[in-house]
Amino acid sequence: MTAVYEFIRLQVQQWALAGIAPESFKYSFVINSILCSFLIGPVLGGIGTLVVTKRLAFFSQAIGQAALTGVAIGIMLGEPYTSPYASMFGFCILFGLFMNFTKNRTKMSSDTLIGVFLSISLAIGACILLYVTAKVNIHVLDNILFGSILTVNDTDMNVLLIISFVCVLLGLPCYNRMILASFNPSLAHVRGVKVCFLDYLFILMITVITVASVKIIGAVLVEALILIPAASARNLSKSMKGFFVYSIIFATLSCVIGVIVPMELEIPVPSGGAVILVASCFFFATTIVKMLGERTRCTKKIR
Amino acid sequence: MVKVMTDLLTSQPLPDSHKSFSGPCISFERVGLRFGNTTILEDINFNVENGTIHCLIGPNGGGKTCLARSLLGQMPHTGRITINWPAGKVIGYVPQLLDFDHTLPITVDDFMAMICQDHPAFFGLKKKHHDAVTRSLAAVGMESLRKRQMGQLSGGERQRVLFAQALLPSPDLLILDEPMTGLDEVGSSLFEDMLIKLKNNGVTIFWIHHDLKQVKKMADFVTCVNRKILFSGSPADVLTADRILNVLSREQAFPVNL
Repeated sequence: MTAVYEFIRLQVQQWALAGIAPESFKYSFVINSILCSFLIGPVLGGIGTLVVTKRLAFFSQAIGQAALTGVAIGIMLGEPYTSPYASMFGFCILFGLFMNFTKNRTKMSSDTLIGVFLSISLAIGACILLYVTAKVNIHVLDNILFGSILTVNDTDMNVLLIISFVCVLLGLPCYNRMILASFNPSLAHVRGVKVCFLDYLFILMITVITVASVKIIGAVLVEALILIPAASARNLSKSMKGFFVYSIIFATLSCVIGVIVPMELEIPVPSGGAVILVASCFFFATTIVKMLGERTRCTKKIR
Repeated sequence: MVKVMTDLLTSQPLPDSHKSFSGPCISFERVGLRFGNTTILEDINFNVENGTIHCLIGPNGGGKTCLARSLLGQMPHTGRITINWPAGKVIGYVPQLLDFDHTLPITVDDFMAMICQDHPAFFGLKKKHHDAVTRSLAAVGMESLRKRQMGQLSGGERQRVLFAQALLPSPDLLILDEPMTGLDEVGSSLFEDMLIKLKNNGVTIFWIHHDLKQVKKMADFVTCVNRKILFSGSPADVLTADRILNVLSREQAFPVNL
């Protein structure tokens, strides 16, 4: 894969030198982050429509917070602090599966349960972090928490590429079934859907894509990029098609704009923060469009 | 009168129903169900004949839905439920409701696509399913509303869509869980017509219902369940005035000698 990345980077750098692409594109880390944006955007935007439809926004938020604890554990165990993937994947997957298992077994209302689990993971994370920061400078953690395009390397891109591929491969054929399972499990079962299995599969999907996106968006903010573009898309669309397409467009645009603009304007903000702020702009714009649309519909009705 | 007769004779069978008396017969033998210390159902014994409308009535919380879900193989029940399939094994199921966010941009067509294809619904309904979906939506009078969002439909219209999905593919056994809730007069008589057509095509219909007048009119057999079977038989025989009174007043202990 490295050869492919290298080829793309050289190509774009030549364009930058020739003046076709913006000047900042002559740096390879810029091209890396743009490449990642084009991967993360569509995948997170697409999964976002599922998260919103299945009403699992809070659930995926909890998994995002668990990534923080995963990072702390990773550093404690001596993984490199720029990419503690083993611990992040390990902890988040265990956390997600255990949370879902408990939800299925206890029939507790899911917001209570998620609240409890979220606090537990944050508490563990906080305890370990305090211990860890005695050894490393706490500011290196900012990269993981809020995203940093400067540190994206070929390993990160490989992880992201593989995970995105797996998510698309699993997600597309199961898309309808996953939604049907949340609408009415009984009906889904009659229709031959393996409700419980798909539930776990979906949680695995959210978890691994969350962890893979941590370098760009940051552990704390990944879930926002799953949720906000889908929520914006819902404001505009009237069918599944629009919902899905808009969500992907909003997510991808947020990533690309959020990465490029601060760099061009030389504003020193973490990439995750910038991406989410752009996404929020889309959300407010679409909300206003929706409100205006509803008002005209109301006045038409009155007339 | 003559016109009515010819209408009946020429009345078209349902969309893509070509089967005759394909419905299964079902026997419940000593079926029981417990959650922890609560007994939901015990000692349920009755048969559902093939090609009949069999209604299940009883007070709320009496275990009707649990019995239907046991039949669907979704409950860890004791005893035995045997379904004897003479031909196809297609089960159509009309649930009580869909649990979804009503502001979601999911159209009727999207929902039908979700039901009948693996191809993601956002790519649209596949051509090969299009005609069948059109027919089943037309059968419940929802064809003109197929581009409408599910959340914007009235409760009755949503029930019709749920009915339409149960016709895809053409079922041999149709299980209905109180599908008339929220249905208007037109929808209700439309449902009746549909059920009679299905029955005439040989489909076995297992119907949880609470409108006793309609049960008396439509059902071939009726079974009343409140933890145990209270009574079971043809509506004309078993739906007597004091029994109905007892069902409605949720009388718990109801000793009936069958």
